[in-house]
Parts: sequence; C-alpha cells; structure tokens
Amino acid sequence: MAVIKRILTKRHAENAGNSLLTMAYRQLSERLLTRTITKPKPTTAVSASLQALTAAALSLPGLMPATAQAADEEVSFLYGYYEESNRNLFGVNSRFDPIVVDSLLGSSKIKLSDRLKFAFNYTQDTWSGATPIATAPLSFGGNKEGGVISGATPFLQNNGVLFDKQLNPLRQDALTGEYIKDSQLVHTLSSASPEIRKQGDFKLSYEWDEATLDAGGGISVENDYESRFGNLAGRWDFNRKLTSLNLGLSYTDSDTRAILDHDATPYIFDVGRGAESYNNTSGSGRIQKEGRNNVLRGNRQDWGTALGLTQVLNETALLEAGIGYTRSTGYMANPYKVVEAAFIDPAQTGEVLTGVSIGLLEKRPNERNQWTENLRYVQYIGGLDAALHFDYRFFHDDWGINAHTFEADWVQPLGHGWTITPKVRYYSQDAADFYTPYMASNQAFSKTAVDQSGRPIYVEADNPDNGNVYFRDKDFNLVDADGKIVDEIAVNPINKAIPFDRNKLPGHYSSDHRLSGFGALSGGLTVSKQFAKGVSFEAGAEYYTHAGSMKLGGGGEGAYADYNYYTVNAVLKVDLSALSLAGSEHSGHAGHNHHGGHAPAGVMFDHMMDKAGDVMFGARYMNSTQSGAMLHGTNEVSDQAIVQQGCGDDGCFTVPGGMNMNMIMLDLMYAPTDWLTLMLMPQFVDMDMSTRELNGAPSATFNRQSLINHHTLHEHTTSGIGDTGVYAMFKLFDEAGHHLHGTLGVSAPTGDVGVKFRDTHRIDAGFQHYGMQLGSGTWDFKPSITYSGKLDKYGWGAQLNSTIRLEHNNETGFAFGDMFQSTAWGSYSLLNWLSTSVRGVYTVQGSIRNEYNGTFNKLGPVDYPANHGGRYWDVGFGINAFVPTGSLQGNNLSFEWLQPVSDDVNGYQLPREGALSATWSYAF
Amino acid sequence: MKTIQQALLLALCICVSGCSPVAPWQRGTLAKPQMALESYPLQSTFNAHIYGSREAATGSSAAGGGGCGCY
Repeated sequence: MAVIKRILTKRHAENAGNSLLTMAYRQLSERLLTRTITKPKPTTAVSASLQALTAAALSLPGLMPATAQAADEEVSFLYGYYEESNRNLFGVNSRFDPIVVDSLLGSSKIKLSDRLKFAFNYTQDTWSGATPIATAPLSFGGNKEGGVISGATPFLQNNGVLFDKQLNPLRQDALTGEYIKDSQLVHTLSSASPEIRKQGDFKLSYEWDEATLDAGGGISVENDYESRFGNLAGRWDFNRKLTSLNLGLSYTDSDTRAILDHDATPYIFDVGRGAESYNNTSGSGRIQKEGRNNVLRGNRQDWGTALGLTQVLNETALLEAGIGYTRSTGYMANPYKVVEAAFIDPAQTGEVLTGVSIGLLEKRPNERNQWTENLRYVQYIGGLDAALHFDYRFFHDDWGINAHTFEADWVQPLGHGWTITPKVRYYSQDAADFYTPYMASNQAFSKTAVDQSGRPIYVEADNPDNGNVYFRDKDFNLVDADGKIVDEIAVNPINKAIPFDRNKLPGHYSSDHRLSGFGALSGGLTVSKQFAKGVSFEAGAEYYTHAGSMKLGGGGEGAYADYNYYTVNAVLKVDLSALSLAGSEHSGHAGHNHHGGHAPAGVMFDHMMDKAGDVMFGARYMNSTQSGAMLHGTNEVSDQAIVQQGCGDDGCFTVPGGMNMNMIMLDLMYAPTDWLTLMLMPQFVDMDMSTRELNGAPSATFNRQSLINHHTLHEHTTSGIGDTGVYAMFKLFDEAGHHLHGTLGVSAPTGDVGVKFRDTHRIDAGFQHYGMQLGSGTWDFKPSITYSGKLDKYGWGAQLNSTIRLEHNNETGFAFGDMFQSTAWGSYSLLNWLSTSVRGVYTVQGSIRNEYNGTFNKLGPVDYPANHGGRYWDVGFGINAFVPTGSLQGNNLSFEWLQPVSDDVNGYQLPREGALSATWSYAF
Repeated sequence: MKTIQQALLLALCICVSGCSPVAPWQRGTLAKPQMALESYPLQSTFNAHIYGSREAATGSSAAGGGGCGCY
C-alpha cells in the first residue's frame, strides 16, 4: 500500500497531467483487482470484479482528495509578518509605531508505521507596538498629555470632562469659549514592549482503510496567558469513498495571569488602595497584590465539537459542509482593555455639567455559547486547469454577535511547478450586546460620607478600613464615635468617601473594537513553486481593511475605529516521502556521514555537500543561558563593587538577574559543483532578561526610579528575525579519510538593532540593552577553516572561525566586537546510526565599539560598551543519530551541551550557564 | 442574510442530489493539488490566527490553542 501511495504522491509531485494519473489509478486498481480475485467467494465474474473494484477503491488510502495531497512525511516552515496602519487620532500625531507581529511556524509530519502518523507543530509570535486601550470622546483628550506631548502613555483619568444635560459630550471652542456638542470618538492608544507567545502541539493519527482517528494536544505559553488543549477527531469514508464524515471534540483550559500595567494603573483608577479599589470598581475580586504588582488571575474553559461532511459531487467538484458548537466559560475579558467611564454628578445645575472620567477594566459575561455553520465548495475549471474555492461561514453566539465570512480563492497552476492563487475575503459582524465605546453614568464619582444626622464622617488616612470613624464637634474638634476628643495628629483624618454605585453601571461592558459592529474586506495573492525533489516554496501577501461602514446591513462602528493591516509570509516545504521515493536513485549515497562522522551539533560550517546537485535542508536550534553571581574578570564580585565601578561616574542601579537566548536557524545548502557548496542561513531569535536592583545603589531621581521599576517588575523580551548568513564553502583537500574546507561569507544585518522599551510613566524609555538587540546591525565577514578525519569508528576534527565587523558602527550607533573561535572534537560511533562526541572550545570576543546614538537610559553594567566580550573556555558533550536506510534515510539529528569551564569577562558581566544546540538536517 | 443562507442550503441540496458516482479512475482531477480543500495549510493557520485576534467569530475547527491574542 505504501508503494502505491508513493507512486501517487510522486505523480503529484511531478504535477502529472490528468491522463497520467488516470492511467496510474487504473493500473493500481487492476493490480489490486488481481490480488483481490484470488480471495475466495467469487460468485460471478461480473460481481467479483465489481466487488474487487470497490475493494480496490476503498482500500486506496488517499483517494479522498482531501488526503490525497497531504504528504505523508513533510517538514515545513513559515515566517509571517503583520503590520497595522496608524489609527486616526484626529490631529494628534502619535509617535508610537502601530502594532507589528512576527510569526514563525514549524511543522513536521512523519510516519511511525504504515498506518501510524505523528505530526508536531511549533509556533512563535512576537508583537510590539501601539494598540487601543480604550475609546473616549475626543474632548476627553485621551491621547494628549496636558495638551503638550502627544500620544504617549494612556491618559485615562480626566477630572474635567464636560457634558450637556442629555449627557452628550461637550467641547469648548478654543477661540469663542463656546460649548459645542461633539460626539466624535477616538481610541486611546497604549504602547507595549515586545511580548512573545510560544506554542507546541502534536497529533497522532491512526489510519484504517476507511477511517482515521486523530488524537492531539498542546500548550501555548505567554507571560500572562497559558492554554493547554487536547482534541480527538475521527474521519470515516464511505459511499465508495465519495463521502467522508468528520467528527471532532476539543477541550482547552486557559489561565490568565496579567500584571496590570503599573504605568496605566494610576490612570485606570486612583490606586492609593491598590488591588482593593480595582476589585471595588470591577466587582470581580480577581485582582491580588503580588509583591509590588497588581495581578489579575482568571481561568477559562472551552469545549468544542465539530461535525463535517465532505462529498465528492462529480469528477470535478467537491463540497464540505460542517457545523460546530463551542461552549466557553470563565474569565473571557481582555485584562488590558478598559472602558472609559464618565461620572456626572446629577446634583449639578446649569447647562454645562462637569464629570470625572476613569478607565474601568472591562467586564464580559462568563459564559459564551458559539455556533458555526460552514460550507466549502471546490470546482475544477477544465479549460484553465484551475480550481475555484468558495467558502462561506456563519457564526452566531449568545453575546449577540452574528458574523458572516465569504472567501473565494482561484488556484491557477501555470506550469513548471508554478501556481498563483488570488483570494478575496469579506467578513462582517454585529456588535456584542454589551459593547459600548464608552459609558456616561448619571452619578457622582465619589461623595463625602455623612452619618444620619448629616455630619461628615472621617477615617484614618493610613488605615481607612479599620472600622474607626471620627466626627467634628461644634468646636471643630475631632471626636470619636463616643464623642471623646482624640489626638488629631495621631489619627490623621480624611473624609470618608463613598465611591460610585457600580450597580448603576451595566452588568457587562467592553469597548474592545473586536466586539464592535464592522465589516472587513481583504484581498491576497499566493505564489508557489514546486521544485524538484519535493521542495516547494510559497510566498503570500494580504491586505485587510476594517471599517464600520462595511458592516452588512449598516449600523457599524464610526469611522474613528477604521484601520488596515497587511501581512506577508513565506513558506518552505520539504516533502520527505517524495524524496525517499527517489531513494533508489540515491542508493549507495549513505548520507553525508563519510567525512569523519558528524561534527557536534554546535559546530557550524562543519561539512560540505558531496557532489554537484546535492541539496541539504536543515534547522538548528540553540539555547544559551546566563545567570548567577556577577563576574569581574574571572572573579565573583559584590553589589557594592559593581555600584562603584561598573558604570563609570553615574554609578550602577541594576544588574541582570538572568538572560536567556533562543535561536532558530534554517540551513539551506546547495552544491553547484563538487568543490563548492553555497549556504543560506536565515535566523529567528528571541531573548529575555530579568533585572534586579543592586544593594547599596545610589538614590535615583524620580524618572530614573520609574525606569528601574519598569525593569525590575517584570522580564523583558525581544524577538524577531536575526541576521542572515550567506556563505560559500570551498573543498581544499579530500582524500583517504581526511577532509579540509574553507568557508567565506557574510552576515547581512537583517536583525533589528533599534528595539526599544515602551514608554513608561510618560518617559521615553529608549533603547533596550545592547545584548537584547536582534542582530549586530553591521555587515560582518565570517571566514572559517575546518578539518575533519575518520578512521573506523573514530572521527575527529578542528575548526578556526572568526566574525569580523566590516563597519565601525551600525544604524543605531554601535558595533559589537570581533570574535575569534577555535574548536577541536573527537567522536566515536557506538552503533552504525549513533555516535557521541566530546569537544573543546576557546572563544575571544571584543567589547562593544561606540554607543547608542539615541535616547538610552543607562542603569547597569549591561548598558556600558566596556562590559561586553571576554575570553571563554567550554567543553561540549554531544550525541548524533543518523538514519542510514528506510523511508527517513538521510535524516540526521544531533544534540550538544556546551558546558562553560572558564569565563574571563571584560568589565562586569553575568556568567554563562551553558548552551544547548540541536540540529536536524536532511540531505538529498 | 437569511436569503443567502437559504440559497446556499438549496445549492447544497441540489449538489448532493445531483451527485454522480465517480469511479476511482475518474478521480484524477479531484486528486490534483489545486483541488485540495486546503491549498496552503500553513498559511491558513497563520491567517486564521490573525483573523482570530482581530474578529469576534472564533475558529470553528475542533483544534484548540491559539493563545490570548490580547494585543
């Protein structure tokens, strides 16, 4: 059966014409026919052949078009980029960049046995930039700070908002002083430092002749949100495989643990009483004080079911229809969105009423039932060899949202493996019942409390909730409840305030624009190219327009909420099963194991391709950690010494508590001739750093202390595309177990070196630390020379490599130091597929040259160029597995742990904890 | 909107009732890559995540995950 499928798959890969395929199917059917006929119980010749034909048809896995395309064994990567347009702030020029998201998806599928498949996916999203935190009438001035600076940190509390008696917002004309009704709304923007989400999920599938059962699960982790999920799905093919029934069940359990923005907090509510006042206004009781942070915790659960039917309509069309139901319970609000609420004291007289506006955390129902119906139709267009895909989806929930999605794709093969797919999509949704851009409440924000006889009540300022109350007697003496005069200084009295009655607000409210009524139109294009040997490349782009006026039936949100976004993405896909088909052509080509065994996972540029036309596709992962007591040179150093000497005359305030770096690199190699291998290495990096305050640090100014808090209260993360390497490897010597090659190449500065912190407390927080930038920012020359040897089960090798910065400074002003590294290793093959390695590494790295040319707040040693680089010794221990035969022939997987032996750092730095490298490669 | 749904339902009925039996060797066209229900699965996942974090209609798939999308 596997053979049959491979033949089919290969045909697909070659993009064979209709007649070829038909022929193949016929041949297969005939082959199966003969096999089946030998079985007993043939009644008549006609019925026997019919029976056999049916059996053949049914037993062909992948006859259903849905599965016919899916390669059995495949590795694919996607990089995607999302960028939003600027929001209309009506004359306020935001200096924030709109939100951008970098996404990386990796997907792999392998066959564990003929019928058992395993799939694993990894997703990583990083976002940063400004998004709306609330919506308010323009007259509230939410994006202005005292009317001076524009669009910095959210400005949510305003004690002087103006309304008329019908609670329409008023604006005072600057020239005439007249009050004019102005209902124009505007988003209040808030910016965010980079945040990252990582998700891993898997699926195990078992295939019968007419059915498939999938079981899967996974986890998605963010700093403030974690989801764990599991799912079960089954597919049953019947009606001679013209019909498929799909049934799925899923469960998701998600926890929110959001640190309420310490920056926006004072503007959301007067937090003199911290978590308590949040809970008082929101009534949720979810917020607790944890250390110095106000933390909101919530749990949510989702149960989902889906039922689908796929039907082959005729030789050129198929249809899928499905229904789904999802029930969600628990905390479903967005902890970072607030609803601007204005409180207008009805006791006021006159035509112009003054109110107090604050931001309230949004409140959504804790139950949501969702239903979907969807239809997908695929029609082959004969004359053009194209296919038209049409999808429609209807969504309905008990929050009052009905949504419609229409999508049409035209998949047009162009020959030579090229396919072009334009698409158009239209989406429209109603607003949720509880959606409101902002609220105006006809009650005072707070009132002075009085007793039954009308006397104002006083409480202790330092402990207002201890139950003690005080009054003024007729001589204005402070007296307690029994009328005894008390010591006013000791009590420190303040008026007892009664906050607004939250029961007078709606039960639920949100001004998240995702719950508003709007329509969205988008158009996109995907171009794909299928190369030989099962490698394919796709590039896609989409432009999306969100507008209230595009809502079906009208009545959408105002134009102030309109925005656009675009996405671009690139996909690289390797069909391993198509490759292993070509296995016979590659017989005797036992991978790339011949040059003295594989070098340990941490060694780059370790081998060349064997002969002209060879291709290698691989991925590398590296994780390195720094933590522990700070070093000065080779010695541990006290906080006091760092404060005094680590940061020049300014003194040091903070040091990093730990730093983590993850790097994912793609490894693409191609040999145009026997003596030359070309290599392209794009990479994706993410880093996080925690910071602590130094003991004995000098006292800081208010602004500096705000920045210090911003660093120490939570970890900081950066992530995105790193630098891209382009290399050429030259064979210098290759004989009798000895191999020598040289590598010349450059690293292009594709990684961002201008990553900044979000503003905090209206202070421009400036650039992130040097080591948290995503690349070097300079063009770097990277030469190396590698020797490797092999005798029987033993392998050995050595490499010298260097990174030389070709520029004195990058666009943000600095350049990392040059790097030189030497390494030598030995390996031993335990089995024909498994070997171990030991390696020694010596590295010298220079300190940073020059410094940032923009706003940069120096708080600790990491912010000073001299505290970078050093001399390092490491020992590496590795294992290496290679698949010499079978369907996964040519796959290589290796791991190496690099253990630091000695650190001799320049200036004051964190010691290294170690580094883990993992590489996977596939040569063909 | 009801009209659209009814029209689609009607179309579905016509299609299903009008199904002609398709023998295995007549399924060559259906097996072409452009006829796959999902032409670009990885791109679809990427786009679905973005739609999901910008629109209220959540995914209908039986798979979970996707994170908060709270940006």
